[in-house]
Amino acid sequence: MNTNAILSAKNRINVIQGDFYVSAEPELVLSTVLGSCIAICLYDPAIETGGMNHFLLAAPGTGGEIDPLKQRLYGAFAMEQLINEMIKRGASRSTMKAHIYGGSNIHRAMAHIGTSNANFARDFLRRDGIPISLEDTGGSAARRLDLKPATGQIRCKHIPTEDVPNIVTPPKRPLEQTRVGDVELF
Amino acid sequence: MGPITILTVDDSPSMRALLKHALVGQGHVVHDAEDGLVALDWLNRHIPDLVITDINMPNMDGFGLIEALRNQDRYRDMPILVLSTESSDEKKLRARDAGATGWIVKPFDPDKLAAAVRRVTH
Repeated sequence: MNTNAILSAKNRINVIQGDFYVSAEPELVLSTVLGSCIAICLYDPAIETGGMNHFLLAAPGTGGEIDPLKQRLYGAFAMEQLINEMIKRGASRSTMKAHIYGGSNIHRAMAHIGTSNANFARDFLRRDGIPISLEDTGGSAARRLDLKPATGQIRCKHIPTEDVPNIVTPPKRPLEQTRVGDVELF
Repeated sequence: MGPITILTVDDSPSMRALLKHALVGQGHVVHDAEDGLVALDWLNRHIPDLVITDINMPNMDGFGLIEALRNQDRYRDMPILVLSTESSDEKKLRARDAGATGWIVKPFDPDKLAAAVRRVTH
């Protein structure tokens, strides 16, 4: 599939902030728009399966009061969800390749957030032994990202930040529906 | 509550580090293992106060580990908590039937984790 085919794909899923998706469906394209958020694209050629997540913030802080529902947005959880789903479908850390996108420092006053997100993603992947074959992070532009999970083909386009509000229309999943942080003793 | 010895089992080094950071911060002694088989090997030589295990792991998953431990007399009553991104009733039921003491859905809240550790070890 060439770039035009990715752009014109009819079977497209928008991976919104806090979400992830894994597939081997040949005609599917996963898309997202990133500012300071990070998207990790994983692809395992051994099973021709790929996936994408999209997260903000890095990891739970230490000692602070943190709403467990909001923790779903944190990178550690986003990373594990994506990796687990890949592994459940037969991928392995040794054959997966990762791309890191996003982490822009769009607002000067919040410059550390994008960098922090990118650093977290890089460290997590390295610690987990998943090779990073490409990284496009930082800068001040937003990014539009398209991944064809069945082939691992990726298109990343830098876009002016003023165009972002017209592109991002995330139908956010109500966090109340999630059950993160629940403790159930049997 | 005094410090207890906890074995954490998770195939992700990053998650093991996060969990260890949280539990050590709560004053506990933490050992970790990357899957059920490595955990069993360690458990043949040590008896912790608590095992906290992930479910989805290569070689031996969390269900296999729980079943293997419950088949040994010395681990029949040791608390075992599952810490997983999964939250389906089917998985929880399977863990309970295998002998798990409880289930915590990731991402864990450090305070809730501490409370659960206190409850199952006292």
